Amino acid sequence: MRDVAIIGAGMIPFGRRDQDTLVDMLAYASLKALDDAGVSAVDAVYVANMGGGILQRQTAIASALVDRVGLLPAAADLVENGPASGGSAVKNGVLAVASGYYDLVLVAGGEKMREVTGWKATDFVATLTHPETEYPYGITLPGMAGMFTRLYMEKYGVTREMLVEIAIKNQQMGALNPYAHVEMLITKEGILDSPHSVVNNPPMADPLHLYDACPVSDGAAAVILCPLDRVKELTHNVPVIVAGFGQATDTHTLAERDDPTDLKAVTLAAQQAFERAQTKPAEINVAELHDAFTILEIAESEHVGFFKKGEGGKAVLAGKTKLGGQLPINVSGGLKARGHPVGATGVAQVVELTWQLRHELPKERQVKNARAGFSINFGGFGNNVVAFVLKRGEK
Amino acid sequence: MKEITAYKCKKCGRIHYPKHERCLNCQHREFELVHPEGKAKLLTYTQIFNLPWGFDERFLYIGVVEFENGVKAMGQIAAPDGADVHTGMLLAAEWRPVRYVSGEPVYGLKFVL
Ligand SMILES: [Zn+2]
Repeated sequence: MRDVAIIGAGMIPFGRRDQDTLVDMLAYASLKALDDAGVSAVDAVYVANMGGGILQRQTAIASALVDRVGLLPAAADLVENGPASGGSAVKNGVLAVASGYYDLVLVAGGEKMREVTGWKATDFVATLTHPETEYPYGITLPGMAGMFTRLYMEKYGVTREMLVEIAIKNQQMGALNPYAHVEMLITKEGILDSPHSVVNNPPMADPLHLYDACPVSDGAAAVILCPLDRVKELTHNVPVIVAGFGQATDTHTLAERDDPTDLKAVTLAAQQAFERAQTKPAEINVAELHDAFTILEIAESEHVGFFKKGEGGKAVLAGKTKLGGQLPINVSGGLKARGHPVGATGVAQVVELTWQLRHELPKERQVKNARAGFSINFGGFGNNVVAFVLKRGEK
Repeated sequence: MKEITAYKCKKCGRIHYPKHERCLNCQHREFELVHPEGKAKLLTYTQIFNLPWGFDERFLYIGVVEFENGVKAMGQIAAPDGADVHTGMLLAAEWRPVRYVSGEPVYGLKFVL
């Protein structure tokens, strides 16, 4: 197996992009990544997308992208793995380079969700639930998260104040990120402590409220991968090394988990990634966690080993996960503020970490001297999870 | 509750719903067919206000229960807004329409207080 480096990264601003088609967005992000690396052709392309077939009635999107971007005759595959499609596509690209079969690989993730109504977008994401024993009841991903949150609060003492603190922190960071969907600052008074908060922040899937959830977004992100030993001839960028990844699965239905508060796939994916990278959670300087709902940032930070069970929420209140704290989490704004175009998210996390590890973000968003980054891309309701450990390489 | 069939592993006894080809615990392939029995204990629930396309209700209560013989399942809870719904409460399970597709009812688990 060869060591694999990320030598190019690109992203387009997430949000509502009515003017762009799905393939437009994937193409723009791909060009940015190619130009950033300084390469003009690749051997293979992996595209992450969950909803093209359902929302745009377009299939074979990887074939469309290589044609659009002028990358013919590169090999091209679509990776659909629910909200973990992005992480899965990066993983497949890493395997392709590590194996020695391909040298230059483009991974692009994108999703266009805002051209349908909120009802239809919610229904689209709900199609990942079990088709006979969950979906017909009207369960949604916020609903799954609500049921999980109720148990996690009961078992580990997580409070609404902790959840609100995550929403505030991530929207503060999002306001500094030009790629973020949400750039609005919020206050504790506005969403928790005042009579207005009832109107501003209504329940969405009790005990979760509106501001506990990420927005529905359009967007795309892309990276270029190559073998570490070819970095010097291919690019001028500081390489970011894919030190390890992990992936694990769990039961399709929430009801069949012995302990529904135990996100086994998160723990296993993280363990694999840390082991492969020969790195400990305490050595990580910056993390991108999958905060599709605020509770997930706390639960994931505990499951991957950054904090003990029951301590993640307290760490948030103590400011340990802010920029400048012990372990900055979601300095990008996370899914909560950057947005969650589902197929793009796992790739966007890797793009953000690449920028952090290359030390090229503006001061107000850069984690000082970051050398090791970590991401969790959480698919289904935790039934398919991909983790990465990335490290700054030598120029 | 004959409408629901669960699958009890003949080797280790683990109860599965829905069906799996092999036991999630021991990979055994033979199962005894069982149906949910008795009251349903509410393990967790949520009141969802942002419903997906296909529902006209303002909100839905959805929960996961465990029946007295160990079968676990998701279903809707028939309760008005603000009802006293809490984890650990015992509910009765009925087989009723849970949604309509092109005017036709789709049947499923409905838990009543
Ligand atoms: Zn068994």
